[in-house]
This record gives sequence, structure tokens and C-alpha cells, in this order.
Amino acid sequence: MAALAFPRHIRTPPKPSSFSNKPKAKPRTRISVRSSLAPPQLGFSDPFVLELAEALEDSLPSPSSPKLSPLQRIRDASSETLLSTPWPSRKDEPFRFTDTSFIKNSTIYPVSRPPPQSLEAPPASCEETQLPQLAIVDGYIVDFGSNLSGLPDGVYVGSLSNATSESLVERIGEFVSGFDWGDLFWSINGVGAPDLAVVYVPAGCRVENPVHLRYYSAEASDEGSNRLPLSNPRVFVLVEKGGEVDIVEEFIGGDGNRCYWANPVLEVVLGEGGKIRHSYVQNQSPCAAHIKWTSVQQEAESSYQLVEVSSGGKLSRHNLHVQQLGPGTVTELSTLHLAFNEQTQDLHSRLVLDYPHGSSRQLHKCIVANSQGQAVFDGNVKVNRYAQQTDAGQLTRSLLLEPRATVNVKPNLQIIADDVKCSHGAAISDLEESQLFYFQARGIDPKTARKALVFSFGAEVVSQLPNSFVQKKVENQIRELLDPR
Amino acid sequence: MASAPPSLSTARPPTAASLHGGRRRGALPPLPSCGVRPPSLGGLPALRSAPLRRFAVRAALSTADRSAAPVESGGGKELLLEVRDLTAVIAETGQEILKGVDLTIYEGEVHAIMGKNGSGKSTFAKVLVGHPDYEVTGGSMMFKGENLLEMEPEDRSLAGLFMSFQSPIEIPGVSNADFLNMAYNARRRKLNQPELSPIEFWAYVYPKLDLLNMKADFLNRNVNEGFSGGERKRNEILQLAVLGAELAILDEIDSGLDVDALRDVAKSVNGLLTPKNSVLMITHYLRLLEFIEPRYIHVMENGKIVKTGDISIAKTLEKEGFKGVSEM
Ligand SMILES: Nc1ncnc2c1ncn2[C@@H]1O[C@H](COP(=O)(O)OP(=O)(O)OP(=O)(O)O)[C@@H](O)[C@H]1O
Ligand SMILES: [Mg+2]
Repeated sequence: MAALAFPRHIRTPPKPSSFSNKPKAKPRTRISVRSSLAPPQLGFSDPFVLELAEALEDSLPSPSSPKLSPLQRIRDASSETLLSTPWPSRKDEPFRFTDTSFIKNSTIYPVSRPPPQSLEAPPASCEETQLPQLAIVDGYIVDFGSNLSGLPDGVYVGSLSNATSESLVERIGEFVSGFDWGDLFWSINGVGAPDLAVVYVPAGCRVENPVHLRYYSAEASDEGSNRLPLSNPRVFVLVEKGGEVDIVEEFIGGDGNRCYWANPVLEVVLGEGGKIRHSYVQNQSPCAAHIKWTSVQQEAESSYQLVEVSSGGKLSRHNLHVQQLGPGTVTELSTLHLAFNEQTQDLHSRLVLDYPHGSSRQLHKCIVANSQGQAVFDGNVKVNRYAQQTDAGQLTRSLLLEPRATVNVKPNLQIIADDVKCSHGAAISDLEESQLFYFQARGIDPKTARKALVFSFGAEVVSQLPNSFVQKKVENQIRELLDPR
Repeated sequence: MASAPPSLSTARPPTAASLHGGRRRGALPPLPSCGVRPPSLGGLPALRSAPLRRFAVRAALSTADRSAAPVESGGGKELLLEVRDLTAVIAETGQEILKGVDLTIYEGEVHAIMGKNGSGKSTFAKVLVGHPDYEVTGGSMMFKGENLLEMEPEDRSLAGLFMSFQSPIEIPGVSNADFLNMAYNARRRKLNQPELSPIEFWAYVYPKLDLLNMKADFLNRNVNEGFSGGERKRNEILQLAVLGAELAILDEIDSGLDVDALRDVAKSVNGLLTPKNSVLMITHYLRLLEFIEPRYIHVMENGKIVKTGDISIAKTLEKEGFKGVSEM
């Protein structure tokens, strides 16, 4: 590893890009060394991570189009941080309850390109195909399955490389790679993202129809093969002053037990007075690893609403970071995590309030209905000194339906400002026996009653999904979980 | 005890009453709480169709009379509920609440249980429908010849036993319409009838709302969530109206109801009464009994039925309290 003495950018010959946890000695033919401003943190380099980084870099051509320079900047910044970031262990607080060894013990390899030209993903419903949608397959933006007609003038949805407006590319460039809260997975995405999908809403523009981002992992291995193809979809959303848009992110697992690792990042910048309603539905394959980052920056008076329903994946984690950049912002986070299989559902959220008159509401609910299932919630709301007259509420409720089902919740409000209204609560329960009995007393058997009660527990979040087609879809997914065919 | 004038009904067919009396061994009026019915169930079809609940009880019996006269009730009616020496404890603590309850109800009869706070009335009602908070430690309870103790709560409900809760709980997230629809469909499944879709169900339930003067938006609200005390009670009766019951146990359905609501509820309960259907009311007040006229009034004390009689018990209670009743 001596060759890594000053690495910023490591290039190895193309192929093999397969990567396993058993480090192989590979000759490095070229090491590009850039100006090194910070001292190299060699001592902290994790060989596993380095190999992963190399494999990712090998799998991608360097961006040829100058329009992709923002992407290049992301890559540069990410590979830099990657060098000093080891693979997380249970000793690291953010991963205390989330075991990522399932990923680490697999043979990880970047998805091969180009992306397939047809998609086995379940077709979108008729209603959906009418709506603007962007298909992202293995991190690549593909034309088939995308429909971007009917968007208002000035709105752009698509790959950055296809953007025709130079000023747009420049504008995007102003924002990317300015995030210092990320972790290893954020950086992995930064190194491995093959493209940058952009949703751009100009000032004052209200986008009527929701923009539907459909993510699909085409490359997958069989269950038990212990191989995980890794993809790194990356999306950047910029809503200028007074703009409004609904974003629906849907992660589709498809049929069967397909194994893969999706490592997506969504970055959102919300201009003054802007409004985003964000729905995030995660329905990955039961064998998949799914580690997602969502980073949101909110300018003054803007409003960001997230409704998440996650049920898929063997290991699923959502890292959510919301940062307030001006006063009077509104943030509403409603999340529902369902662990009905042998799986982990994890939400790590962080909301930072630095300006006065903000309001934030967070509701996190999880249901663990498998004795090998686990839910993790670490929700931090930080009300800093200047965030006076802030109204912050945080509530988490967990439902454990099986004897050894576990939940680790750590809601925490950190309040430094003194003139604030904050409330929080956490409750963990089984179904109320008295409620079950009420059903039985009216002739409804406990199994049906249980389903109705579990469904209704989730309904508090599901009913907040702003678009009815998403809501219907999610309701059906939950029904199927409750009543597996 | 003094023979209080029977006042249950103004229209009292004397023939039926005498017939009724003639079927008993003694001259004593029927004694439901310890009636043992001979197996002769046939005959008297004319009587069976008569509105029996309207027959007055000539005289209430003292507790001393009860053991002396094992009599049948119902005049050819089928036995609906028969509870014998029922004892029950609180499951968690083992504390005994019911200490030997006896009660017999024939089809078509209206009964009422009165008694002090904490005497065990609600516990009795809940034990009958299989509430998990309690454990039956002795005695028997038979409903339509079936052993309730061997039936799950939902099966007791499907068999035609309904209890309206004294304090109905909220079920957040489940709409009243869905809840009722689910319950109604469970009934239909049991009867091998096709289930009703939400729209079909709406058509079925809508007129029943009217009957109870309930606004349609009650159906869209979650079960009892944010309901006022009176609204919850009405909602219980709505459930009864939708599901029907051969024996409806109404636990303090009158508490928290304003006069108009009480009239609505009583109207709807009376509407459900047929010669086959029975009601067991638990109440503290005479007022309800003036709307839904019981044939028998039982007084519960310390986990037992200590006295059974007619409406005069309720009247004495109203005037003189429980002290007056025990001196009756
Ligand atoms: N689940 C329970 N846990 C503890 N105590 C109970 C429980 N259920 C009943 N009890 C006790 O048993 C006794 C009888 O209660 P019950 O509710 O049956 O009385 P009640 O006759 O209906 O009174 P009220 O007229 O006030 O409604 C009371 O002392 C009550 O506190
Ligand atoms: Mg009571």
C-alpha cells in the first residue's frame, strides 16, 4: 500500500472491477497525484474502502462532457474524503445498532455499463405514465421508461449531460459538493455516480404534476451467491425562489430475491419561499442493501415536506439531513419503516435549525413484525442559539409484533436557543389488547383485527402522501405485507 | 315484598298473562335468575308470537322466594342465556369480582341489572362476552344451548351476543365505516352470504344513521376518536343496529345521553326487539327503564345478584336508594 502515500486519485487498469473483501494485490500503473492541501491521512485509510474506491473509479469513464464538470467536482471531493473514512463498525456511534457487515462480507462490484436497454421493472400504472417521470437504472438515466413531456417552460428534468442551457449547468455547479455532513456511503456515491440527474424548477414556477423518479436495479445476483453489484444513483434538485414541485422517489425491487446494493444520494436545494413535497417509497428486493442519503438545504420561508415509507431491503438505511439556511422555514418529516422480514430498517435523521421562527414536525413510526427484524431510529433535532421562536416537535412510535423483534430508538432534541417550543415523545408498544378485543366483540377475528390495527398504525404516515396514486400503491404494498400471497 | 302494581305496559293481554301464569307450577310469577326449564318446548305457537316482553310481572320475588320456587319463565319461549353460579377473577391479580352470579334470560325478554358502583355489573357483562381482563373460575354460562366458556369472543358475537361497552374505547386510524363494514361482513361470512363492498355497505348503513339521528360524517371519523361521551354511546347502538343481536347487553347506555339522545337510542333498541330478541340493560336510572321497559330487574351486590323483581325495584331505588331496596 505504499503506492497510496499521496493519493488523491487512483487509477488502475480497467478490469477486473470485481471487488471482494479479500484484498488482492493489484499492480497500480498510474497514480494521479493532485495538489495536496491537507496532509494525507494515510494512517486512517481502510484498504477495503480503497479497493472499493478503485473499483468504482475503474468502472467509470472520466466525464468527457464539460457539462459534467459538476460531477467531476463531486468525484474529486468524494475520493478525497473516502481515503480517510474507514468502513463503519458497530463501535461507531452512527452504526451502533446497524450492522453493515452483510455488505462488507459480500463480493462487491460496480455495475457494468452500459445499462440494459429494456427494463424488467414492473410497468408503471396508466395514471403514472401520464406524469413526468425519469427512469434511473443502476444509476444511469435511461430514455425508455422516461416521460418528460408536459413540464412547464424552464423546468428541467434529466441528465445533467443532456442539459442544453449552460447557465443551468453553471447554476448547478454552484451548489454541488458543498456538503460536509456525509459519511462513507455519501462519498462512495460521489465516487461511483455515473451521472447526475437534475430536477430544476426556475423561480416562481409551480410544477403541477409530481415529478416521478423511478429507480431500478437491473443488475443483480442470485440469493446466496454472496455477490452484490453496486450502483450509485445521484439526483440533484434545485428549486429556485418561490418555485414549487412534488418529487416522488420510488425504489422498485421487482420480482424475486435479487441481490444488489443501491447506494443513492438525493441533494435538494430549496430557494427562498420555495416548496417541495417529497415522497420516498422504498420497496427494494428482500435481499438488497439500500443505503440512501437525502440532504436538504432550506432557504428562508421555504417549506419541505417528506413522507417516507420504507419496507424493502435486507439492510435499509436512510440518512436524512435537513439544514436551515434562513428564518421562517417549515419542515415536516413523516416516516414509516416496516420490517416484516428478516431485515433492518434504519433512519438516521438530523435537522439543524440556525435561524428564528422555524417550525419543524417529525413523526417516525416503525413496525417490526419479524423476530429477526429490527428498526433503528436516531433522530436529532438541533435548535441552535439563533433559532429563537422555533417550534419543534418530534414523535416516534414503534410497534413490535413478534417476541424478539427489536427496535432501537434514539430521538433527541438538542436545544440551545431558550425561547422555543419543543415537544417530543417516544412510545413502543404491542397492539393494544383492549383494541383487539373491541374488534372481537363485534365478531371480527383477531387476525383480521390485527391487520386492521397494523394498517391503521401506518395510515397516519401513509395518509400524508400528497399524491393519491402513490398513496394507493403504498397501501397495496402494505396490504401485501400483511397478507402475503 | 309488596306487590307493586305492574306498570310495564299499558297493553297487557290478560289471556296471555293468565296462560303464562298457568304454565308455572306455583302461583308465583316467573323467576328468571334460577329458572330451570322442563324439556317441553313444543306447543303454544300462538303465545310465541305474542310480544312477551310487554307482559307485566305481577309481583317481584324476594330472594327468599327464589330458592323456593324453581320455575320456568318465558311461556314457551326458548332459553337464551343461562348463567349458573358464575365466579370470575381479575386475570392479572386473581382478585375475585363475580362471586356466584345466577341469571336466566328467555328469548323476547327485557331484563335490567342495577346495583351500586363497583358491585360487578360491568364485569359480569364483560365476562359474558369474553373480555381477556377476567378469568372465569367457576360456574357455567350457556347461550342458546352453547357453552360460552368454550367460545372465542368473536364467536360469541357471531352467535348473537352483543355488548355495548360502558366506556367504548377509541381505535385511531380505523374509520367507523370500515370497522362496521368489517364486522358486518364477518356476520355475512358466517351466514354464507356474500360480503358487502364499501359502497353496498354504505347503502345498508345509511338509513340506520338516520334512525339514531347521527350525521353521516360519523362514518368517516375514526372509531370513537374524539367522540363525546354521548356520541360514543350512540355509536355503540349504531353497531347494534347494523349487526343485530339476539341478546343485547347494554351497559349504562343512558349515562351521558341527553334526553333527546336517550329517546333516539331507546327507539332504536325497541325497534330491534322482536319476540326472539332479548335485552339486558345495566343502568342506574329509572328513566331508561321507562323508555325500554324491562320485565325483570335484578340487583347486584358484591358480585352476586341478590334480588330480582319488577320495575318497582327501580322505583324504590330512585326514591330511597339501595338501602330502600334491601329493605323491600
Ligand atoms: N380490569 C380490572 N382491574 C382492576 N379492577 C377491576 C377491573 N375490572 C373491575 N375491577 C374492579 O371490580 C369491581 C367491579 O367493577 P365493575 O366495573 O364491574 O363495577 P360496576 O358495577 O359496573 O360499577 P359502575 O356502576 O361504577 O359501572 C370494581 O371495584 C372495579 O374496580
Ligand atoms: Mg359499570
